[in-house]
Amino acid sequence: MSNEFIALAIPALLLFTAIFILLFGLSPYYTKARAYYISLISLFISLVLVVFSIDEVHSTLVAIDIFNFMIIYDTFSATFMTLFLLGAFLTLAIAKSFIYNSEYFSFESFVLLLFSLFGMVILSMANELLTAFIALEISSMSVYILVGLNRHSLRAAEAFFKYLVLGSFAASIYLLGLILIFAQVKSTNILVISQYISISDLNSQLLVIAGGLLIMVTILFKIAAVPFGAWVIDVYEGASLPITSYMAGVFKIAVFSFALRFFLLDYITFNDIFNPLILGGAVVTMFVGSLLAVVQTSVKKMLAASSVVHSGYLLIAFASIQNGMIYSASSIIFYLFAYFISAIGAFGVLSYISTSDDKIIRLENLNGLAKEHPLISASLTIFLLSLAGFPSTIGFIGKFYIFTSAIEAGYTFFAILGALSAFISIYYYFKVIVHMYFKDSNGSRVEYGYKISFSFIILCAMIVLWGGVGTSLLLNIPAIDALNDLSKNAIESLYH
Amino acid sequence: MNILSLIVFLPIISAIFLFFIRKNVALVKIVYILVTLAVLYLCVILYIDFDPNDSMQFIVMHQWIVEYGINYHLGVDGVSLGIVMMNAIIMPLIAIGLYKRRDNSGYWINLLFVQGGVMGAVLSLDLMLFYLFWELMLLPIFFMLGLFGYARSNYIAMKFNLYTIFGSLLMLIAILYIAVIHKEEFGFYSFDLNNLKNIKLSSLESILAFSGFMLAFGIKIPIFPFHTWLSDTYRSAPTGIVIVMSALMAKLGVYSIWRFLFTLFNETSHMLAPYFIGIGLFGLIYFGISAMNQSHLKRMFAFSSASHLSLIVVGFFIYDIYGLIGSSYLIVAHALSSAALFLMVGIMFERTGTYSINELGGIALVAPRFALFFAFFALSIVGIPSTAGFVAELLIIVGAFKYNIYVGFISAITILIAMLFMFKMISKVLYGQLSPHTKEFTDLRLHELLALIPLALLILAMGIFPNYFIKKIKPTASFCSVEGQCYVK
Repeated sequence: MSNEFIALAIPALLLFTAIFILLFGLSPYYTKARAYYISLISLFISLVLVVFSIDEVHSTLVAIDIFNFMIIYDTFSATFMTLFLLGAFLTLAIAKSFIYNSEYFSFESFVLLLFSLFGMVILSMANELLTAFIALEISSMSVYILVGLNRHSLRAAEAFFKYLVLGSFAASIYLLGLILIFAQVKSTNILVISQYISISDLNSQLLVIAGGLLIMVTILFKIAAVPFGAWVIDVYEGASLPITSYMAGVFKIAVFSFALRFFLLDYITFNDIFNPLILGGAVVTMFVGSLLAVVQTSVKKMLAASSVVHSGYLLIAFASIQNGMIYSASSIIFYLFAYFISAIGAFGVLSYISTSDDKIIRLENLNGLAKEHPLISASLTIFLLSLAGFPSTIGFIGKFYIFTSAIEAGYTFFAILGALSAFISIYYYFKVIVHMYFKDSNGSRVEYGYKISFSFIILCAMIVLWGGVGTSLLLNIPAIDALNDLSKNAIESLYH
Repeated sequence: MNILSLIVFLPIISAIFLFFIRKNVALVKIVYILVTLAVLYLCVILYIDFDPNDSMQFIVMHQWIVEYGINYHLGVDGVSLGIVMMNAIIMPLIAIGLYKRRDNSGYWINLLFVQGGVMGAVLSLDLMLFYLFWELMLLPIFFMLGLFGYARSNYIAMKFNLYTIFGSLLMLIAILYIAVIHKEEFGFYSFDLNNLKNIKLSSLESILAFSGFMLAFGIKIPIFPFHTWLSDTYRSAPTGIVIVMSALMAKLGVYSIWRFLFTLFNETSHMLAPYFIGIGLFGLIYFGISAMNQSHLKRMFAFSSASHLSLIVVGFFIYDIYGLIGSSYLIVAHALSSAALFLMVGIMFERTGTYSINELGGIALVAPRFALFFAFFALSIVGIPSTAGFVAELLIIVGAFKYNIYVGFISAITILIAMLFMFKMISKVLYGQLSPHTKEFTDLRLHELLALIPLALLILAMGIFPNYFIKKIKPTASFCSVEGQCYVK
């Protein structure tokens, strides 16, 4: 299979599955369960397709005569597509009981999910700012609606509306930035912009810098960095659990995929100008996020707030990318993977134990979970430890890479601040563990969910552990080194 | 498979398997005893095969994370051998001593985890590997404090956890920092102790990195200003964890000063040594006086442990062969005595239901065997002649006198202070009138004797034939102090 074929086949497959479900969803034969399995299968097939092209460095401009240099398929986009598809697959698979038991989760939800995935896949391949904008908006629009799925919940309606208004506002800022760049460069192609920057002097770059800053604002909004992330807690709380997991785990990564491509190719030369802003944003994001996470009593809100903190770590890594040291960008990809698998696991456990009703899971609701469901609480513990960056989990290796590249770039002080914020995070993550293990249960419990959801949770926990201690010495299973190589290949293919 | 890897991973892997059969507590206990005995057997083989003329031995080295030069690098030398041995000896005895109690499989599974974690941290010669085990060890202790602790156990478990992780995280940054310096100087990442000791740091960098490490170690030991978690945690902790904390975890902290700080920052350690001797001496007296004022038995022993640990710190920082040998000897001696004492305190609590010194009394009248052992272990902590503690403290004090006569004098006082609070405690607990709590006191049972006798014999043997034990430590210690730099082969 040629790479070009894969690049065309995956979005096409996602799109056609979505349209298929949309067309036949109303017929009584295609029940929700069938729609569920159809989406799972199409996700699985696309996952298998894309996995074959991530192990080598390659880069292809897809169908130049049709798309005119707008779409590029390289290892970078292949890696990110793998993450999106895997994330969506795991989210759906873990949330089976949740989806089956909630009435508002109708067949359209799968359509929206597939549409948003389609947008993300295009976003990761976008070689042009306008294409990226359209892809970003396709996925954002679908996510807006997914947030507001539960029509009967006031919280969901509020979250939907808030997210829609603020998100559209942020998107318009992106457009403004795009216009400024176009005004100067006369092109919106990322490679052309990069050439322009390399040959022109600072005076004729001013609009490009201003445009880049505006686009950065939108990106910071989408990854919920403080001060642009005020929406995050309400929206994450209002959305139903699988959707929150999808947003925190998958959608955020999609935004990062675009941000990485854009900044690595175009704005790497300006990091003197951008770094103080990014670092300042990172510190504020980490500590405000920590503060928000400490005060929450609902587990879901706590995880939402902590996802802000993780954006802060990623921003530190972002600032550490410097000319000639672009490989430290691979630490971002590694961290994204680490965060992604742990967050999907943690949210997955929550959706697994909350089954259907959209009740808020407070810390007290987890009391005594360890006695009744030792394996589930053990896996939630593993995910939380990984999010907190405790050694022997993949989250620790991720933090280790980020802090190392920060120190190497000369930002030791910010690495220490990162460590302090990791210290605070120990408190709020361990609070959940305290409730699960040390408090007595306050009521009888029912048997949860489906075996398939359970087995995927265990699978995620295994990946988290293996990613933290794994070595290719022991078993011939790809481990930390392999992930490292993957992320390096991905970065390398950008310059191919 | 290398014997060291077996020693580290046998307990950890068994613990993971035990998680799945935890319903059957009796089986878990039996497996626990079998596994710890197997580890003991391996350690005895290790001890016999250990060549007393050499320093670092049984080295195993594999690449773990190639990109960053992180290796799976284990090795044992004279000082770590002592800690490995006492870890292996103490762990099965906990189960034998508490055989009738603690019908909860989580207790034993967590203890196995701790054993593996401590072994790993002691044996690792790669900083990342060390950090992994160092943190991993914390988790089972946290769970045991929360699950089986007394009085406000959640709060105390959390406080202990946050306290120690705070130190560890700053140590992590220090580790990363020197690794990056290594990359800048030599062109590649390495976390191996052998490579990292070659780096050149400016004095400010060196002091900062040193403090990062020292903070983590100082909190674990604990040395003077970082001891505020100590008394609460010891009071609340279940017997198994108190033993682990006083006998293993604290000793690991002191050992790490020797292993990592003296290797990595030799000059800085020399330069800062007077300050740490000062802190150590102050802690020695401060903790001793605090111990005198405690009425809670476990808190008293907590402070007495801290006092002796400060003496060990002093022994290391005087940079003298006597001090080094004495300190590493005291690590083992004190661990054995304090493990036995805390075990006996646990036994006492089981029978009387109280830890308060004032509510006890007259135990010698009803339980002569118990009184005999209790007095023996208490005095062995003080360091009366013919016990291991005497040899160790004598060596440290000799070293201290060589360093400076005042330092020598003050460290000699420690024996006096220890004598004071121990005799006061013994007279109140073992003699005097029988109290309502001690009336029904039954004497030591067979399995309890079985746990205590080996410890007592070992303490005597180490006190009467010190040469046999010291000859294993000596090459390591002399290697270090003569050349002024510690070597890891």
